[in-house]
Amino acid sequence: MAEFNIQSDSVDVTRIMEQIRERIREKRGADYTEEHVRELASVKLERFLDPRQVRSGLVEQYRQLDAAEGQDPIDWSTPSLLGPPPESFEFDTETIYKSSRGPTGKIIQMIRKLLNPFLKLLFNPDPMVHALTRQAEINAYTLQLLQQQTDLAERVTKQFERAGAKFQAREELDSLNYEVLNNLVVEMTRLSVDMKNHMMRVESVAGRLDFAERRARALETVVQHRSTPSTDEAGSRDGDSTSGSGSGRTRRRRRRSRRRGGGSGEADAPAATQPATDGGNGDTPVPTDAAPEPSGGGTSAEASAPAVDTDTASPTPEEPVPSAAAPETAPSVETATLASPPTTGDAGGDAGGPQDTPVSADPEPGERSGDPDEQ
Amino acid sequence: MKLAVVVQRYGADLNGGAELHARYVAEHLAPHADVEVLTTSTTDYITWKNDLTPGVEQVNGIPVCRFPVSRERDPDDFGRRSEHVFGEEHSIGSELAWLRSEGPTSPALVKHLRRHGHEYDFCVFFSYRYYHAYHGARVTPDQAVLVPTAERDPALGLEIFGPAFRGVRALMYNSHEERALIQGVSGNERVPGVVVGIGSEVPSDPQPDRFRQRTGLHGPTLIYVGRIDENKGCKELFDFFQRYARIDQALTLVLIGNPIMAIPEHPRIRHLGFVSDEEKFDAMAAAELLVIPSYYESLSMVTLEAWALGRPVLANGKCDVLCGQCVRSNAGLYYENYEEFAESLHIILTQRRLREALGANGRIYFDRHYTWPTIERKYLDMFDRLQQEDPANRPAREAIPGWFGRRRRTVPPASDVVDRLPRGPASGEGGAAAS
Repeated sequence: MAEFNIQSDSVDVTRIMEQIRERIREKRGADYTEEHVRELASVKLERFLDPRQVRSGLVEQYRQLDAAEGQDPIDWSTPSLLGPPPESFEFDTETIYKSSRGPTGKIIQMIRKLLNPFLKLLFNPDPMVHALTRQAEINAYTLQLLQQQTDLAERVTKQFERAGAKFQAREELDSLNYEVLNNLVVEMTRLSVDMKNHMMRVESVAGRLDFAERRARALETVVQHRSTPSTDEAGSRDGDSTSGSGSGRTRRRRRRSRRRGGGSGEADAPAATQPATDGGNGDTPVPTDAAPEPSGGGTSAEASAPAVDTDTASPTPEEPVPSAAAPETAPSVETATLASPPTTGDAGGDAGGPQDTPVSADPEPGERSGDPDEQ
Repeated sequence: MKLAVVVQRYGADLNGGAELHARYVAEHLAPHADVEVLTTSTTDYITWKNDLTPGVEQVNGIPVCRFPVSRERDPDDFGRRSEHVFGEEHSIGSELAWLRSEGPTSPALVKHLRRHGHEYDFCVFFSYRYYHAYHGARVTPDQAVLVPTAERDPALGLEIFGPAFRGVRALMYNSHEERALIQGVSGNERVPGVVVGIGSEVPSDPQPDRFRQRTGLHGPTLIYVGRIDENKGCKELFDFFQRYARIDQALTLVLIGNPIMAIPEHPRIRHLGFVSDEEKFDAMAAAELLVIPSYYESLSMVTLEAWALGRPVLANGKCDVLCGQCVRSNAGLYYENYEEFAESLHIILTQRRLREALGANGRIYFDRHYTWPTIERKYLDMFDRLQQEDPANRPAREAIPGWFGRRRRTVPPASDVVDRLPRGPASGEGGAAAS
């Protein structure tokens, strides 16, 4: 927590609250930004659904759930409610006179008929008969409707049960989604860390490679100085007499630029001596560069140099050797030259890659000496 | 000078905010005037049941005249009517019915005021939203001084209260925010008003060590004093504190007051129940700070008491009054969510200089605005001012609409009216500004 500078007589609550809110905003800023969240949200999930990466059977479970969800769709169509009309109970003018008492009933029916005019004086039974007939029909029809409603209710209940099961499946799916997303975040974090580790290792390997090359060049210089001092001296003199010191500096600069990378090579090398196939990266053997130069390029030592390391352009024949009696100083002289500040033309090469870093100064290998492989 | 203090309930053992406020005002104005209290014969603010004998009695040397309540409150009816007038377009008649339903319906009290109101120089009515204040102020327009104790609740948006706010002789506000609310809803800027608030009797030598010995609490404490109620924001407080306690396991939340809700079982939450004033002030003096989680407060006496004791407060920033008081006094921080709660609490607890500075500011603020001599002076100054006022300049009383007018459903929902009122702390200097 940062301290608030509070004076007893100058407390400003509004300002303190602003500071508190600012601090809260800063803390929130450490979380996922909106862009990160959107990026995560826009990633297609199936790309990461690999059973090797997530827990066993997760994808299969997904598919099962998906299949369960897709099967047996709910039929929401309305069933036919109306069936055939019910049978009507027959009512007519005779019905109300009928009797169920057998022979006696016929007598009763006859008496009723005889008295019918008297009855009709009092009221007309025909509308009543008609209404009762209709009512019987309506009752039967209502019964049928009720039956159908019951059926419908049963079907709806079943469909609700199925919908409930579907919701349950959806809940399981949600928990799976959560697990997958969690795995995704974990895996992405792990990959990010791995990527950073690999980048650091590449840098380290490049540095060690460069150091090894420089050491090899230095050793070659020493070996060649010891093995062919007279030739070297002759070559050197010859070189000095034929091309002069200016040509020697040009070659040195060309070699340096090749070592440093493509950009600097292109910038430093004259067009006539820098072939297009060079590519400027300094890694490709350069036939034209290895070809005999006007100044003593035909010595045996020079012919063997490209075969050893075309990249580093053997310093022995072309390099003006300061003194044959002090060969051990050669690497350090070269290193000092390489460590000089880059020119404008070298800038592109210097910025070209991490391999420049260990070359730039002598202490670099020493700094990396913590790595046991480097020694 | 003869004063009548008119309040819904009155008693030495009643601890409701407005009732306590009224008792303190009556007792502190008694040396300056002939004070009489007019109230109902009830102590139950839920049902208004007549549980005291009507008549005159003495309470702490003040004559108290009690009048019966004609009908108890029916909570269902009141709830139904509240939903109607707060949430739907309604009529003035519905609002008057709501007021009757809310109570305490005491026609005898109003009748007494109608007959004898002129015998008083001033009638100080407490709590605008109750039957006694509305009808009492209407029958004593020349004497009525209103202490509204208003909060940002839907009742403030009822149409009937606009004329009431405009029709009294003066208003004694509790806070600048309350004044802004009432002026916003009624446009009563021409009515004399002053932000007064209430004083508090705070002992000069509270004993925090006595509290620590009694309770065994020796670590830092955060104290809450008041009714432990969800409506007071206690649920949110418990939630926030339990989250915070995972970070700071030394802090204890001390609760003083009667619980209306369940208090969570937590090793760092200590409920002391209802305690004496002495114990309360000891506890407040022992605490690092006071927390006020309430969303609605018209003043919060306990906040003033904490400041009087030199303790900072942590208030709910969604309560305009508390937020405004903190800003004006520079004596407390406020929060609107858990992050702000945790940060503010952490800062107050860990930064001694800030805590002391806030406490010192609170003490200064209290001494400047809320000591009893200051409060008494404001009341007496207002009475003097009103007595010198030309009667011709007094606003005419606004009549209630007629039979048809009362039944016209053209009044907007009260909640909508209140929602349209400005929010946030009001501007104002201390508590002394007068309009």
